[in-house]
Amino acid sequence: MNKKFWIATTCMLLAASGVQAQNKLSIDKVYSTYRRNSGTIMENKKIKGYFFLYISDKIDKHTDEYTLQILDENLNKVRDIKFEDSKKLGLLEAAYNGSSLAFLFKNGDNKTLDMKVYDLDGKLKYTYSREYDKRTDDLMKRYETMHTDEGTNQNVYDLGEKGYASVLPLRDGKQRTYEIDYYSSQEKKQWTYTPDDDEERYANAEFLGSTDSLIILEVMKKNRALSGKPSAHLIGINFMTKKKAFDIDNENDEYTFVSSGVEPVKGTDKIMVFGSYFNKGDNIIKDNTKGLAIYGIDSKGNVLTKTYNSWADDFAKYLPTNRKGKIDNIGYLYIHKVIQMQDGKMFIVGEGYKRQANAGGIALNVLGAFAGVRQSAVGVTKIVTTDMVIMEFNDKYKITNATIYDKTNNNAVISAMSDGTSQHAIGLYLKMTGAFDYEFTTGDNDNNNFSVCYSDWVRSSDYKGETFNSIHYNGTKFTTDKIELKSKASTLKVFPAKAGSIMIMEYFKKDKRIDFRLEKLG
Amino acid sequence: MPKVPCILHPLLLVLFFVFTTFLFASSQVFSPATENAAFFKALSTKYEDHYKDELSSLPKENKKDFEEVYKLRWENVKEVFDKKEIYTSAQAQQYLNALVAEIVKANPLLQNQNFNCYFSRSGVPNAGYIGEGIILFNMGLFKRLDNESQAAFILCHEISHFYLQHSEKSIRRYVAAINSQEMQTELRKIKNAEYGKRQQVDDLLKGLTFNIRRHGRDHESEADSMAIEFLHNTRYDVSEALTTLALLDSIDIDTLHIGGCLQKMFDAKDYPFQKRWLAKEEGLLGGHAQLKKDEPLADSLKTHPDCKLRIKFLEPMVSRYCSSTSSKNVVNNSKMIELKNIFSYEIAEFAYTSENYTKSLYYTLELSQGKTADPYLVAQVGKIFNSFYAAQKIHKLGKLIDLPSPYYPGNYNLLLQFVQNLYLENFASISYHFLKQYYPLLDYYPPFTSAYNTSKKISQQ
Repeated sequence: MNKKFWIATTCMLLAASGVQAQNKLSIDKVYSTYRRNSGTIMENKKIKGYFFLYISDKIDKHTDEYTLQILDENLNKVRDIKFEDSKKLGLLEAAYNGSSLAFLFKNGDNKTLDMKVYDLDGKLKYTYSREYDKRTDDLMKRYETMHTDEGTNQNVYDLGEKGYASVLPLRDGKQRTYEIDYYSSQEKKQWTYTPDDDEERYANAEFLGSTDSLIILEVMKKNRALSGKPSAHLIGINFMTKKKAFDIDNENDEYTFVSSGVEPVKGTDKIMVFGSYFNKGDNIIKDNTKGLAIYGIDSKGNVLTKTYNSWADDFAKYLPTNRKGKIDNIGYLYIHKVIQMQDGKMFIVGEGYKRQANAGGIALNVLGAFAGVRQSAVGVTKIVTTDMVIMEFNDKYKITNATIYDKTNNNAVISAMSDGTSQHAIGLYLKMTGAFDYEFTTGDNDNNNFSVCYSDWVRSSDYKGETFNSIHYNGTKFTTDKIELKSKASTLKVFPAKAGSIMIMEYFKKDKRIDFRLEKLG
Repeated sequence: MPKVPCILHPLLLVLFFVFTTFLFASSQVFSPATENAAFFKALSTKYEDHYKDELSSLPKENKKDFEEVYKLRWENVKEVFDKKEIYTSAQAQQYLNALVAEIVKANPLLQNQNFNCYFSRSGVPNAGYIGEGIILFNMGLFKRLDNESQAAFILCHEISHFYLQHSEKSIRRYVAAINSQEMQTELRKIKNAEYGKRQQVDDLLKGLTFNIRRHGRDHESEADSMAIEFLHNTRYDVSEALTTLALLDSIDIDTLHIGGCLQKMFDAKDYPFQKRWLAKEEGLLGGHAQLKKDEPLADSLKTHPDCKLRIKFLEPMVSRYCSSTSSKNVVNNSKMIELKNIFSYEIAEFAYTSENYTKSLYYTLELSQGKTADPYLVAQVGKIFNSFYAAQKIHKLGKLIDLPSPYYPGNYNLLLQFVQNLYLENFASISYHFLKQYYPLLDYYPPFTSAYNTSKKISQQ
């Protein structure tokens, strides 16, 4: 029976292909391209363009032809780069430094991460390959699942005209570490930096920024992955000498400082470092921060200035804050962005989050208890993100003002994890999972004009649905703006775009049409 | 210092204002032609019927392919009506009809032909036969011409395309090519190929495109020759065919120095021009890249032969037909001058009403050069900046402006960058401070008053 069926099927297929052969062919019936992936091209943490990678042809059993389409910041197609490579190729990230373009590919056949540097005419200048193995599994997972607020690069950064760097997390058994790869765009030159400290059983590095010779990282280290207090290190790697330039570990300081951003001061050797500070001996993951600190350092890592703004004393003058940093109705503040102005002034963008009773969770737990279940997967509390807060600091880095921008308390975490975890750890978790409403900040290079963007969910009589919001600073005052993302005719989605703009994707339900356009903010 | 001039000066100014006001108010202020909705509807219906008749007479073989191409052509025609691109001013249409009548009268071949010529309000310096017997003469081209003979040559060229059925022949050639045995064999080969399909498709498409474009260029040469044949029968000066082609050769050269123009116009005492408004990035991704062209490929894909070649090709015919009795202007030269002036304004107005604010601003600024206190242009500049403001407020500005692109001419691209560099409050303040210079001078002109009041209101927000 099976055989008969097979013969019948074969006959049917032959008949079908015979009919097909008589049909008129057109180009769209014999050839199509497939989009493999797309993303943004970054320069100095700003979106400068977009890439689209297409599979344009099959060359042989193992090789495909790819077309890498480059769009500029205004969505004009400026280059088509064609090349042949493994069938198992994915483009992970792209960066631009004004004179070249760099693309980090994952080659599934060779099991390599390939950094390809192209000149502006689309000619391949250099290819740098490194093998990937189980140590980079975490990194691959991160590419598949992680969310970045700016919707942008996670591991590849431009270092100005000299080249590019990637900061890759590595995992070997229980040990977690990282490596930094430097790729020159001026000559064929590449090197890898791996931390050589044997005690670093668990080290997680985050790229904070760069100067013309330094890559600056915030590295959290501890001896064991699941227990023990981590220590925070501000590390500078000189990418010209390939050596560690400094490692600031707070050992002899009054407080423990955990940096979250750097800003080189133009025309000087000075670098401003921003972050949270803790009491000496506190656990920087579990305990509450004391406030915000700003350090001024030089390129050798000498700490020149230290300024502390405590929740209890400094912030409390402008926000109703308790000693643990909890603000009335807002909860705790997660710091998203530090914006350094040219006149020395500074703005810090924060978003509130707090624990709230979860009615559904309580009901489930009560029902579960009746049914003999010890603990429900849903917690009795949930975490909500609350208002946006913009704080202003003077040129001495002391807080001078704070404004709260109302938004809806939006559900961020509804699981048992919200019940017992510390506020600080919850903040980190929300950031890591992209649960905050903050989206990105965009503006001029000199930051004289900038817009802080966030999403919200509005339930009013006029409109019920998602909104995209911005708080715009024009150099003298703040104004707010809101885009409703839903209408009867269309649905909108907002993406980050070139400085000062957003990209709106509008889907017209009736016409089944998608339009992209750039809109200026502010 | 004598005191008299101090008294006289304001008096003279007042007199000047009164005089200027009177002058503009009485005759010179441009007023856009009102759109004749009934006329558009009637025309659209008439041509749609024509299109449907055309469909019913298409060849049976490959009918579906023919229908598809004719549908595309019709959609293009329909868009002209939908966008209200045709200029419905009766006096302009009468003038154009008179230019065409002179050609038809002198050429018996054309006397029973069913075609119509219209002015298009587009600023693009072009003219074309768009199908269904419709010839469009863009205002952007007409305003650049020196005399009626040049306009007549352009009309003769487009009439020739219609008369020689170039559009229909191209469609037939295309449909035949895609259904040819050769093409189908090639496509089958590509379909069955496992590898290297893209290269094969590229080669096939290149061949097809080159072929179509080559015929297109042949059609242009044919239309040029036929146009000379039609033109020399008329009273128009046939030698103006050559000056027209020379003009077309340089028509895309950008003459407005937009950077200087913007600085001059928007440098108000209380709101001085800022350098950063003209800042642009030269790199690959900033919208101003210098992209290298594949010159041989671009040449092969040209739809028109090079103007210099066209001139060389026509010269023997023109010298053969040159006549001392011909005239550069036959119908009404003063009407042509009047229309050229009106058209310069109409293209700015049409760009605005068809929702391309940056194009409208460019045309307005271009026209403003050498014209001080022209009420329409002053009000239009203010109106555009107010509209930038209003559109950005509701997040729709992106639909109404062009973005900088390496594919635009440098001056227009710099204007686009200027618009990108401005913030919401800049739009309002530039508008207000620009208009304030003309207040109360132009207060008598309602569009000015409206723009001024709006700018005042938004600049205070």
